Amino acid sequence: MTATQEKRDTAETGNGETRTINLIQAVTEALAEELERDRRVVLFGEDVGARGGVFMATAGLQARFGKERVFDTPLSEASIVGAAVGMAARGLRPVAEIQFADYMGPGFDQIISQAAKLRYRSGGQFTCPLVIRTPSGGGVKGGHHHSQSPESYYTHTPGLKVVMPSTPYDAKGLLKAAIRGDDPVIFFEPKRLYRAAKGEVPDHDYTVRIGEAAVRREGTDLSLIGYGGVMPDVERAAAALAAEGVSAEVIDLRSLLPWDQGTVVRSVQKTGRAVLVSEAPRTSNFMGEVAYVIQEQAFDTLRAPVGQVAGFDTPYPYVQDKVYLPGPNRILAACVKALNY
Amino acid sequence: MIHPHTPEPIQYIAEDGQPVQALPERFTPDLLRGLHHDMLRAREFDRKLITLLRQGRTTFYAQSSGMEATQVGLARSLQAGHDWVWPYYRDHTLALSMGMPMFDLLSQCLGTNSDSCRGRQMPHHFASAALKFVSISSSIASQVPPAAGSAMAQKYLGSDEITVCTFGDGATSEGDWHAGMNMAGTAKAPCLFVCENNQWAISTGVQQQTASETIHVKARAYGMPGYYVDGNDIVAVMEVCAHAAAGVRAGDGPALVECLTYRVGSHSNADADAEKQYRTRDEVNLWLARDPILRVEKLLEHLGHPVSTEERSEIITQTHREVDQDVIRAEASGQPDWRIMFEDVYADLPSHLREQAAALRAEQEGVRA
Repeated sequence: MTATQEKRDTAETGNGETRTINLIQAVTEALAEELERDRRVVLFGEDVGARGGVFMATAGLQARFGKERVFDTPLSEASIVGAAVGMAARGLRPVAEIQFADYMGPGFDQIISQAAKLRYRSGGQFTCPLVIRTPSGGGVKGGHHHSQSPESYYTHTPGLKVVMPSTPYDAKGLLKAAIRGDDPVIFFEPKRLYRAAKGEVPDHDYTVRIGEAAVRREGTDLSLIGYGGVMPDVERAAAALAAEGVSAEVIDLRSLLPWDQGTVVRSVQKTGRAVLVSEAPRTSNFMGEVAYVIQEQAFDTLRAPVGQVAGFDTPYPYVQDKVYLPGPNRILAACVKALNY
Repeated sequence: MIHPHTPEPIQYIAEDGQPVQALPERFTPDLLRGLHHDMLRAREFDRKLITLLRQGRTTFYAQSSGMEATQVGLARSLQAGHDWVWPYYRDHTLALSMGMPMFDLLSQCLGTNSDSCRGRQMPHHFASAALKFVSISSSIASQVPPAAGSAMAQKYLGSDEITVCTFGDGATSEGDWHAGMNMAGTAKAPCLFVCENNQWAISTGVQQQTASETIHVKARAYGMPGYYVDGNDIVAVMEVCAHAAAGVRAGDGPALVECLTYRVGSHSNADADAEKQYRTRDEVNLWLARDPILRVEKLLEHLGHPVSTEERSEIITQTHREVDQDVIRAEASGQPDWRIMFEDVYADLPSHLREQAAALRAEQEGVRA
């Protein structure tokens, strides 16, 4: 995070001491603090109660806030998302957990037909302030029903907000912003970073505004743009480039809908080169939209075609888990190609 | 005494208008005349809307002719403006009976500036926050899980409102229907589910829709009572819905009411001619003989309080006059302009939508110049 970014986020709520936690702890803390702050917040999903979720994101919350506010549901994504829609329309602030993003299919109609459109189709008479949290992405030897990155299905839906943090600071701040916001938010949590990503969070209350990217590293030769689970590898690639004397600017999008076009375009106008990194399948990948906006708004400054490193257009493979993901080598190869163009 | 899971539909008035069991005391001639008025008004609204379609002033309409007893009866069993309704797309008679002004319905069907939904939805998909009548979604059964959630929220919030969710027989085949029923059942949510079984999902008959003998038997699987009602008998619909709603309101958990009725018209204007391909004239005639409005007229005649020809004509004339006046008033409010397209997508307009709106403004102003 840049000094500027940190200042903007913390300026909203004051300053304080910091602690180092991991990403899943950040999620749990955000949920606990919002449950404490607002009685309208309720939490539910499969196994989120006594069990605390399969990744333990809701561990201890039922014991602390009661079964009325933190509860298990039938094994049905359509029910979970649909019930959240009904609760939100009635003035609650439901936070629903879908156990894996891969399982959101049965809830898809509820997300795109109900959650995303209730405000619009009723002329603003009814609203849908809900959050759907779900672990997504690969790298945990999960095979194709526990490793997919389905964010593009949702970024294609007006009315939704789509968020994917990669640091504990962002996970906590963005989740709080999502719960307090008045729109439906799909909150993807890169599961391989749950315990791998550690970082400082302030002791005091803060939020991170949805729709703003973070500049993780400033640079002048190339813009490396990613989000979610790929970010540690993106930063590793940038560090390797730095060792070779190449100055890469690293941008973490954090929010995909809406997304921070300004930060990306300004960066590419400065560096003249862009490499986009995500682990979702290549075709109709969200980064295709980012590439389009770069060519539309920074075409004159481009010194090389926009590079893209993505997952392959195959179902996510179990055995080739690590091969499938765009690691530092594949990212570096795309950077070298852009630099030598 | 009203019991769930009866093998035959619960009935009070036979097809010939004779009571098949003693009418509850509250069904005075005055109440029955009021019900007759509401049903006839709704039917005439249907007729006028078909005229508006033919005139090209609206583009879609789904008649409820033949289903008036189900929708008026349900409306009269609820606390309008207090209870929440997650309806389906054929529920304008329900909306009218709950007190939605005809002007509001027409404004939505015509997509004018006076439409509270701001011309975003196709005709016949109205909503009213004041009536707690939630916006209709075209996706079949999509409203069922949210209705369960609405009732769960009600339980959490702790007042005596209930949630009502309506759907046709076709909706009971959808996954969302089963998901929502199961959710409401497990949560013991105060939700009244009402199946307006009009026996046809466009061209698919109810026998091809489900292998179970009736819809109401499915309630057993979700741990709730299932009531089977003659949906063309308004006394039966009101008695059963009021009974079921009272149980839901008292905290007994959800209930399902299946109203066996019939849409005598086509599914919508879209299949007006195709209708003859999937059902016979004999079938339609059989149900025309079971008409809910005629049935109440015959009952009133039997009770010695007949509706005169003049009274009937007056209701029809008054409804037509009201529709004509409201259409003129709605159309006079004009059509929403392009700006509203970008509003209400989010609570606040994000920058990408601001940019797209600005581009469209330039295009629109360029055209005008």
